[in-house]
Amino acid sequence: MDTTFALYASFILIGTFISAISQVILKKSAQKTYSSHIKEYLNAPVIFAYSMFVVSTLLCILAYRVVPLSFGPVLESTSYIYVTIFGAVFFKETVTSKKLLALALILIGIVIYSFGV
Amino acid sequence: MASRLKTYFVLHLLLMVYSCSGIMSKLAAGVDMFSLMFFVYYGAMLAILGIYALGWQQILKRMALTTAYSNRAICIVWGIIWGFVFFAEPITLQKIIGAIFIVAGVVLFSYADAKPGSAPAKSSSEQLPHKSRTKLGE
Repeated sequence: MDTTFALYASFILIGTFISAISQVILKKSAQKTYSSHIKEYLNAPVIFAYSMFVVSTLLCILAYRVVPLSFGPVLESTSYIYVTIFGAVFFKETVTSKKLLALALILIGIVIYSFGV
Repeated sequence: MASRLKTYFVLHLLLMVYSCSGIMSKLAAGVDMFSLMFFVYYGAMLAILGIYALGWQQILKRMALTTAYSNRAICIVWGIIWGFVFFAEPITLQKIIGAIFIVAGVVLFSYADAKPGSAPAKSSSEQLPHKSRTKLGE
């Protein structure tokens, strides 16, 4: 795995992180009450979140110039790490030992997979 | 029982369609950015994500979130298959072993919060109006 490959692979990792943040914003927005249905969608945080989602899709396409298609879903499984962290920080969800074990399995899997790309 | 099988079948059909969004992204990566074909592939990718978001909401009405979520791990396998079929990406032993670890991790993660024998989860966090990609991240 050379530097160029690592750089392009990092675009997917960054995109995954960005889309995780946008999901936090969407979820926070969904918990609020709005005066109308339109305002539920047309407000600054929601529009910002969807813009970030678009950015993440463009980053993904950029990455695929070098990264093989099959590596995409593998790198995207890092989302579970962010889900766990953001869930604990922003939504008071508990981090169980089972979850930590699951994250360890996912990370080990990504590392093993990387050697086969 | 038959309806449950049908839900599983539809879920996996949906996940297969969803995994095709990656094919569109990869095709978009092969043409000039912001050329006509780029927008065709990009549009197709967004359309697939839209279909997926709608279908996923329907699945969640009929199935526990944890169950549906754990089945999503199959997308790793679809990625390997589509990469091999459409882009001549080799299938290596490391890929297979790595994929098994990740799938095991995702399934374990999905059930980490589930209490044994609990009913389909229906917390507010799980059925949101605008969760286009349906989970935190991905």
